Amino acid sequence: MELKILDIINTVLNNRGKTNLSSIRPEMHLRNDIGMDSLDLAELTVRIEAEYDIDIFEDGLINTVGEILEKLKNN
Amino acid sequence: MDLFFETRQQGVILTWDILINDINNSTTYNPYCKSDSYYETFKNIITSMLIGEKIILLDSDFTDSELINLTEHSNFSSYTQEIDKKSFPLIQNKRELISNLRETSKNWKITLFTSGTTGIPKKVTHNYDSITRFVKISDRNSDNIWGFAYNPTHMAGIQVFYQAVLNGNTIIKLFGLTPNEIYREIKENNITHISATPTFYRLLLPCDESFQSVRRITSGGEKFNKKTIHQLQDVFPEAKITNVYATTETGTLFASNNDIFSIKPEYKNLIRTENDELLIHNSLIGNTNTNINEWYNTGDLIEIITEDPLRFKFISRKSDMINVGGYKVNPLEVEEAILTIPEIKNVRVFPKSNSVLGNIICCEVVCVNEEISESSIRIFLQSKIQEFKIPRIIKFVDELSTTRTGKIKRT
Repeated sequence: MELKILDIINTVLNNRGKTNLSSIRPEMHLRNDIGMDSLDLAELTVRIEAEYDIDIFEDGLINTVGEILEKLKNN
Repeated sequence: MDLFFETRQQGVILTWDILINDINNSTTYNPYCKSDSYYETFKNIITSMLIGEKIILLDSDFTDSELINLTEHSNFSSYTQEIDKKSFPLIQNKRELISNLRETSKNWKITLFTSGTTGIPKKVTHNYDSITRFVKISDRNSDNIWGFAYNPTHMAGIQVFYQAVLNGNTIIKLFGLTPNEIYREIKENNITHISATPTFYRLLLPCDESFQSVRRITSGGEKFNKKTIHQLQDVFPEAKITNVYATTETGTLFASNNDIFSIKPEYKNLIRTENDELLIHNSLIGNTNTNINEWYNTGDLIEIITEDPLRFKFISRKSDMINVGGYKVNPLEVEEAILTIPEIKNVRVFPKSNSVLGNIICCEVVCVNEEISESSIRIFLQSKIQEFKIPRIIKFVDELSTTRTGKIKRT
């Protein structure tokens, strides 16, 4: 699953001409470390939802990669 | 140090004295203002007011084709003019600057562009009285420190700019910062006032800390949900939270501390409804390049709570405009831009509701061959339309989904 999430994150970054990541770690902060803005986060939710059928931001904001993985595992 | 403007991204800290010095030293002026720098934009607006010349604000990310659509030009250098220093005396200090601004000539005009409902953004021109109609000038406001979270060329940003400048306040740029940086700015600068879209506040949450310096939180442009209001109140316990209704045509019109709006008694006869749509009398509207009848249709649908005094809630937009985090996107404009790609035969732009931005722009395209990719469409659009208008999800289909009447389906 982590590879798939890495892939999705890179698709979003790539679409805005931002540098791809080679790996992700749970503690990485989506905005502070990965540099996503609100447009990127919105796209990320849609792409994750298309893949896993889960709106990760449904109950409030997710800040880190670990929180995404957690949310997907629990569902 | 009497700070005028700070932006941490560029490491810029500018005092009122530096601003005054820059204005005194400027020798040329160009009415077309398109700059990445907030400070340059602010300085140009102030200079235009002092010399009584019009100013036209253009988003710094407008593409050349958008500029040609809006103004018929993409290069404005030939409009640069010399400033006649004889009729423009040197400014001595902040007090003198502000008092000169408050006496801006009746002939001065400021033009900005709305997102428009017909495909091309609409030009709206205001004079000093109409653009500053809702600015509150008082001694009580003289020590305010503003967190600036809007684009300086949009109506909301202009309103914050005037509220801050005419009271001699400090402006701290928060736009484009990460949440950690924003909190650091609030703390280090003791920011007292923030005006931003609900999306901006949503992205700040959750936060474990609380900030006592903030006394006022203003929001507008989208619906603000109750959960966000509660969370914000925890982070800013001393702040009064206000929701405002403003349009580029009118500036700020109503304010509310929840989702129910009421109107000032003096506007009683200038506001009415028709088929649940809010109508505003043309005396409250700036000049636009389209003819407005006596009553202006806002396109906003409201639910009336009480008739007299009039109290109401905003329900939705009547038009097809898509609200992306407070920015209005016209699907027709986006479709028009996509259709200029030769390989694309047909397109439908539509919103998908989204927990981060309210809505996200999506599209379906019908292509003549399979060589075109999602990323090549995006790269093409980057030279055509602003970033927030570019579809984030592009679906390749054999034919577009239509409604029963054969119209292209929007939702």
